[in-house]
Amino acid sequence: MTRRRRVILIVAGIALLVAVEIVVATRLWRTSVPSDLRLPSLDPAREFPAGELRRAESFDAFGRWTFLGSQVVLLATLAVYAKHGWRFARESAAGPIGTGFLLGMLGIGIAWLTQVPFSIADFWWAKDHGVTNTDWATFLFGDWAALGGQFAFVCFALLVAMGFSRLLRRSWWLPATAVFAGLAVLFAFVTPLLLDLHEPHNPRLEADAAKIARQQGVSGIPLKVEEVRSDTTAPNAFAVGLGSTRRVVLWDTIAGFPRGEVRVVIAHEYGHQARHHISKGLGWSVLFLLPTTLLVALLTWRRGGLARPEAVPLALLIVVVLQVFTTPLRSAISRHMEAEADWAALQTTRDPAAMRGLFRNFTDVGYSDPDPPGWFQTLFGDHPSGLQRIEMAEAWERAHPH
Amino acid sequence: MPSEPVRITVADADLQRSRVTVLFRLILAIPHLIVLGIFAAIAIVLAPFHWLATLFSGNPPDALADYFRMLVRYSLQVYAYLYLTTARFPPWPGTNDEYAIDVSFPPAARQNRWSVGFRLLLALPALLLASALTGGFGFGFNGSATESALQGSGAAAAAAFLAWFACLVTGRMPQGLRDLQIYALGYATQAYSYLFLLTDQYPNAAPRAYPSAPMPDHPVTLSLSADDLRRSRLTTFFRLPLAVPHLIWLALWSIVALLVAIAAWLAALVRGQVPAALHRFLAAYVRYTTHFTAFLYLTANAFPGFTGTAGSYPAEATIAAPERQSRWTVLTRGILLLPAFVILSALGGIYGLTAIFAWWIALFTGRIPRGVRDAGAFALRYSTQTYAYALLLTPRYPYAGPGPGTSARNAPAAPEPAPPSYIPDQPVWTREAE
Repeated sequence: MTRRRRVILIVAGIALLVAVEIVVATRLWRTSVPSDLRLPSLDPAREFPAGELRRAESFDAFGRWTFLGSQVVLLATLAVYAKHGWRFARESAAGPIGTGFLLGMLGIGIAWLTQVPFSIADFWWAKDHGVTNTDWATFLFGDWAALGGQFAFVCFALLVAMGFSRLLRRSWWLPATAVFAGLAVLFAFVTPLLLDLHEPHNPRLEADAAKIARQQGVSGIPLKVEEVRSDTTAPNAFAVGLGSTRRVVLWDTIAGFPRGEVRVVIAHEYGHQARHHISKGLGWSVLFLLPTTLLVALLTWRRGGLARPEAVPLALLIVVVLQVFTTPLRSAISRHMEAEADWAALQTTRDPAAMRGLFRNFTDVGYSDPDPPGWFQTLFGDHPSGLQRIEMAEAWERAHPH
Repeated sequence: MPSEPVRITVADADLQRSRVTVLFRLILAIPHLIVLGIFAAIAIVLAPFHWLATLFSGNPPDALADYFRMLVRYSLQVYAYLYLTTARFPPWPGTNDEYAIDVSFPPAARQNRWSVGFRLLLALPALLLASALTGGFGFGFNGSATESALQGSGAAAAAAFLAWFACLVTGRMPQGLRDLQIYALGYATQAYSYLFLLTDQYPNAAPRAYPSAPMPDHPVTLSLSADDLRRSRLTTFFRLPLAVPHLIWLALWSIVALLVAIAAWLAALVRGQVPAALHRFLAAYVRYTTHFTAFLYLTANAFPGFTGTAGSYPAEATIAAPERQSRWTVLTRGILLLPAFVILSALGGIYGLTAIFAWWIALFTGRIPRGVRDAGAFALRYSTQTYAYALLLTPRYPYAGPGPGTSARNAPAAPEPAPPSYIPDQPVWTREAE
């Protein structure tokens, strides 16, 4: 095959990939939130007590700056590691894939080390504000144990990528993406089975959940409770699982909220399940995964491809850079789905006052800034802000006066 | 300049033991243990004065130093007798009679006051290791739970327990167990000599620093090649999480190895020999566990491969080809292994302790002391031999003596390890850049 024909084939392949991605993304973007819905512009100072607002702003501002700092340090560290990290191959007596494991783990380890000061600062800040109940020893050693899990994960990912790369050379990224997507589906399926969840032991709560699930057409999905009070005071809830493992999970920290607000939370999470947000999230992951693996394959080729362990530090940098720079897009997708779940909650409970109360409570108890700076919300906000959610409740109320 | 080390001498190589004195050894030792207890109690009272005097003058005072020399020597001899290391009843303190095991102290010399001032703190790791090695030797620091736990599993005490049965049956002390005891008691002697300011030289954990018989030929050996004792600080810091993929792989491999071992056991019972294919598989498994353990415990620096390929790692287990085995020993292998596992368990504690020391030292200095490395390598060699015996790779029982086969200097002839499976060149893109 001539060079010219090869280039044409590659360009055509990439164009096809982009086209497929656009088509699929358009389908995944569809939402049940009315397209003509206009959110009113509310003044946070009128919606929240001044003291709470100031406290939440101050709390979140610290986290924003440590987050930004940590991202800059992370990218700088991995850039240096991408250039010089190959030298650590000398510390290995393993074969190419084993040496790739070592380089991958050391890259993650070095990145972890650079994040430790930021984690400590965040933890200290959370403790200072009484948001976490975790003690210092658990924080430090728990983090260490989590690092072991990350190392195992990166080794498995490298085994897949480097294994296919040694077998298929440049086209390793296609089967590798399929394997990663399969793994993501598997993780999504088994995650609820790995969590320590229990029944609500509250007949009223169970009855409310069953009614909401029925209303949303997902009556087979159970409500579970997770005990987190020993670790944190922050309220939270989430939807997990795929197929038969689908669950809606409430943290026990939310149990003290008024019944109407808890119903909104439950309806929001059932909204995620009813609108297949977990499957859609997996679909989005594949859309991001394909160009990521393709770019890793293309950009590491100059270093002999991912079959060579020396390319691993660069691959690590590419993955993290893509993750960081696609964060605004991924945040927008997440906000989009959260807004749809909010709308589903309003449609089900028909209780905008409870939703307003809920997000005021989040600001009061969870120190969540209801109106973060626009640039930060656009780039990194993975949920609509508290104020935007109150605005949606307001918009729903205006659209449904009785 | 540090002074000369405290040296252990063994004058009597006789391994014969009277069954009667062995049977009543603990009772026979009671008078000595009472006297030793009294002397130790006096030592606890004298030690602060000894320390203060040395701190102010820079020299240990002669009279007190003599007392502590006498105590350390006497303690060595009493425990050597109690543990069946020696056959004859030991002399009473102060008689200066010759005895089968003895200690020579360096002449008194000035000592660095900083080292004297922090001696208790500095001696703490050595005392911990001494406790793990002896399981009861010493006179002081007996109150803590840590020490109690360590004393329960000391290598010398474990060896004595096994030797008691062996001597009663055969009338002879097994050479390996005796040499293990000499190593353990010798190290403890050096540790207490350091603590009591009789020397400023830190105890040497290397087994070769203590008298022992040459290791008999064994089909399973460990050799350490090309180890400059340098340890990467980064891989040292992350040593435990770096081991995670190996732990997962080891767990999976162990399941298969267990099934293969059962097949090998059945085959050896029928044929009197393990089939070559099964032997190869199990040998690779044992080599892999040796590579991985050496990495985890810092006996070696390099990240190991996952295949247990022969000659692929600096801490290499050499396992001989399959040979005929007695069907009786194959049938009863599980029972025969029990004594070896007693020793292995005791050495495991020592290995863990040396690994913790090595981790801290390597983190700060980028190197590990040869003695600590060699002590760990001894435990690793014994572990490799035990697992090789358990998995029917050899009919030879693991050798408990801390003799050759533990370090490059005195390793038996072993094949020169092949270079690592993956040798990174300076990559093309950096050559271009430069």
